[in-house]
Amino acid sequence: MVKGTEIPGITTKTPEGVKGNGRAYKVLVVDDSMFVAKQIGQILTSEGFEIVATAGDGEEAVTKYKQLKDQIDLVTMDITMPKMDGVTALEKIIEFDPDAKVVMISALGRQDLVKKSLLLGAKNYIVKPLDRKKVLERVVSVLKS
Amino acid sequence: MRVDYINPFVEAAFSVVEEVLSTKVERGKIYLKGETQAIMGLATIVGLAGGVEGRVILDMDIPTALRIASIMNGEELNEVDDLVKATLTELANVVTGVAVTELHEKGFRFDLTPPAVITGENMKVHDIGIEALVVPMTLPFGEIEVNVAIKEREVSSDG
Repeated sequence: MVKGTEIPGITTKTPEGVKGNGRAYKVLVVDDSMFVAKQIGQILTSEGFEIVATAGDGEEAVTKYKQLKDQIDLVTMDITMPKMDGVTALEKIIEFDPDAKVVMISALGRQDLVKKSLLLGAKNYIVKPLDRKKVLERVVSVLKS
Repeated sequence: MRVDYINPFVEAAFSVVEEVLSTKVERGKIYLKGETQAIMGLATIVGLAGGVEGRVILDMDIPTALRIASIMNGEELNEVDDLVKATLTELANVVTGVAVTELHEKGFRFDLTPPAVITGENMKVHDIGIEALVVPMTLPFGEIEVNVAIKEREVSSDG
């Protein structure tokens, strides 16, 4: 960063994705849909979050969480995925790190699985279709709780 | 009885498309198609199994599919690539999710298969023993046909 090049005074609002120390919150996005993963990525990065990694199924999510634990502040976890579903992946992540902050991404009509996830330790959930406001509200509330 | 199954899918398709694309959708006249139907160019198919059997198709031509995917992604997409297919799969997921929530609340029990996307010219769907009901949806830039064929599962009497 070259000092003195910032333009002062345009905005004083800190983006939601940036911590008090000026560093971005880091997110692991887990979804088998390229479209949904991209959508979540766009919403979060536009607000200053950093997507530290993505995973396309539950197995990959658990592996990446274990590898990158210290760099991950939050996980967004799709429920229906190939190889290993999101509820099982959540369970394995919580087993490894009881303090993990996981937000479930659910299709409508899956309230039973959302309830199960919350009982297993998910911190919140978002129902698709995703909208920017809803995603940011839920993610921020989990990070600041 | 059959309309009880079909209406929620049609209503869900209208409300989801209007919400996701932020556009007005006009409903065309419902009509019956025979056992063999042509596909317009790109179709998402979700299968139903359990208490009923059948499938729900969202059928559209390629330019309409590209326009929808472009709007949903907030960028211009000009060919049917993996992102376009994933986007339309997600649209079908949300439509069926809304419909199934309503049907489950009414006490109907069945499962859905994950959506499949098929593309191609001169493709036809053959539904053996079921006629399909089609509801056209007119968007400002094209048309989607909601094509539903469902029948209640017959219980075999000879075991």
